[in-house]
Amino acid sequence: MKGLYAAFLAESLKVWRSKILWIIILVFAFIVVMIGLLVFISMHPGLINSSSLLNAKASFLGTVDWSSYFVLLYQIIAAIGLMGFSFVISWIFGREYSDRTVKDLLSLPVSRSMIVISKFIIVIIWCILLFLVIFFLGILTGIIIKIPDWSGEATIHAFLIFSITSLLTILVSLPVAFFASWGRGYLLPIGFIILIMIITQFIAAGIPGIAPFFPWAIPTLYSGAAGPEKSHLEVISYIIVFFTGIAGITGTVAWWRFADQN
Amino acid sequence: MKEIIKTESLTKHYGKVRAVDGISLSVGKGEIYGFLGLNGAGKTTTIRCLLGMVRPTKGNAYLNGKKVTAGNHKLWNDVGYLVEIPYSYPDLTVRENLEIIRRLRFISDPVAVETVIEKLQLGLYQDRKARNLSQGNAQRLGIAKAIMHNPGILLLDEPANGLDPAGIVEIRQLLCDLAFNKGVTVFISSHILGEISRFATRIGIIHEGRLVQESDADQLDKFRKRYLQVNTFNNNGARSKLLEKGFNVDITTNGLLEITGDEVIAHPDIVSALLVNTGYPPTLLKIEEEDLESYFLRTIGMTGGAK
Repeated sequence: MKGLYAAFLAESLKVWRSKILWIIILVFAFIVVMIGLLVFISMHPGLINSSSLLNAKASFLGTVDWSSYFVLLYQIIAAIGLMGFSFVISWIFGREYSDRTVKDLLSLPVSRSMIVISKFIIVIIWCILLFLVIFFLGILTGIIIKIPDWSGEATIHAFLIFSITSLLTILVSLPVAFFASWGRGYLLPIGFIILIMIITQFIAAGIPGIAPFFPWAIPTLYSGAAGPEKSHLEVISYIIVFFTGIAGITGTVAWWRFADQN
Repeated sequence: MKEIIKTESLTKHYGKVRAVDGISLSVGKGEIYGFLGLNGAGKTTTIRCLLGMVRPTKGNAYLNGKKVTAGNHKLWNDVGYLVEIPYSYPDLTVRENLEIIRRLRFISDPVAVETVIEKLQLGLYQDRKARNLSQGNAQRLGIAKAIMHNPGILLLDEPANGLDPAGIVEIRQLLCDLAFNKGVTVFISSHILGEISRFATRIGIIHEGRLVQESDADQLDKFRKRYLQVNTFNNNGARSKLLEKGFNVDITTNGLLEITGDEVIAHPDIVSALLVNTGYPPTLLKIEEEDLESYFLRTIGMTGGAK
């Protein structure tokens, strides 16, 4: 535990002093505010030219109330969250290779496994911070633009769904750490997650029957953002997500522990 | 003398490339072992094997008598290292980079950071971000990270890279102090024999993955070629006469005669008398010793950098 604590403190300092932490939080906040703006436009279509592109985008939202607004937030965390969390993981692991600092972490009294686990702890804390930013800024934006039919009970329920969707998304993002370590940088993990997002869309549109078994489609299905399939999720889907996360962690630890570090 | 660093037939292949090929060496306590080789000779791979960063294809490495493996992390308590160009976290200051290493090395005394900053003369730059350091100061920071925990073993891969002449002298003095006064065992790689021979106690020369020569540093003179350098008003004529008498003579690129052979070195007066008697009186006659660079290149089978 001494090693894990030391590694965690070291990782915290690295993240705290990086600009990336704040940039990602700002990007997520910006996305939430933009979604709020779209919702606001769809609530007040007369505010801008009816033929404008923005109006066209806003019109797909249909009737706006808090429950449809929550679904929008679920979509953000399931889709953009996957990209954002993956970027965070790529940065935490890939930076050691692109900054060429990894060699300073390999022959220390702290085991490499503890170094990797401390990085995963930082990843999880960072991703939770992002999910809280999205949710609470989303709520704040919704209140400011005066979305109708507020309900405290519905908000608590939405928070629960949002939290579990975030947790599932974080778990399916963890294999990105392996690709960042294997690819020794950012390119491979980012490429991997883009490929995964394309495959997820293909599966969702073309062969929805296997979506509950495809790890990266499961968070969206759970949130209900993709439609009523949520009710079709069986225990096996949650097990698949859990083992995807475990595979990501063990694969990364094994890579750091056993692969040649040139 | 107790063996602190040891390799037994250490071999590392990458596909068909034999990066390190059966290297066996040992370094005793308080020794400075200069590990010499050209770029790509296998120096860094050997150091990476000693640090458990790459797994040997064959053979083993030992530090303090314990076998090096990636999982044997307790081994690194007593080891400081610098591999290739040292890099630090660019967004962090010099002090913060050292603070990270202090934590990861379980150094409880925060003064350790101050001490090493002072030792490496990084005081002026301690609050500067690593991305803004000059190459020399980045190198000092790398060395500071390697020695902060006062290790008994130092594995340094070309630590003088990027340092100015004053910095090179300073690091040399630091390493000598650590080895000779504090008993630290130093394994240092370099491609400059002239530099390494100034302070190493033992020298190993690696070429194409193989250890081609190993000797005590003070024995280097014994291996260096000595020759008699001669100049006359007609060197071609003088050379013909000397060849007729069975001397081994070459004309150097600057037109001087170079005569080799133990007897010539012991009795240059014989050559002098012969040249005077045959009408080619010498205007220059001196015994020269092969410089370290030429010796190194000759040892690895190269001359002037070409095989």
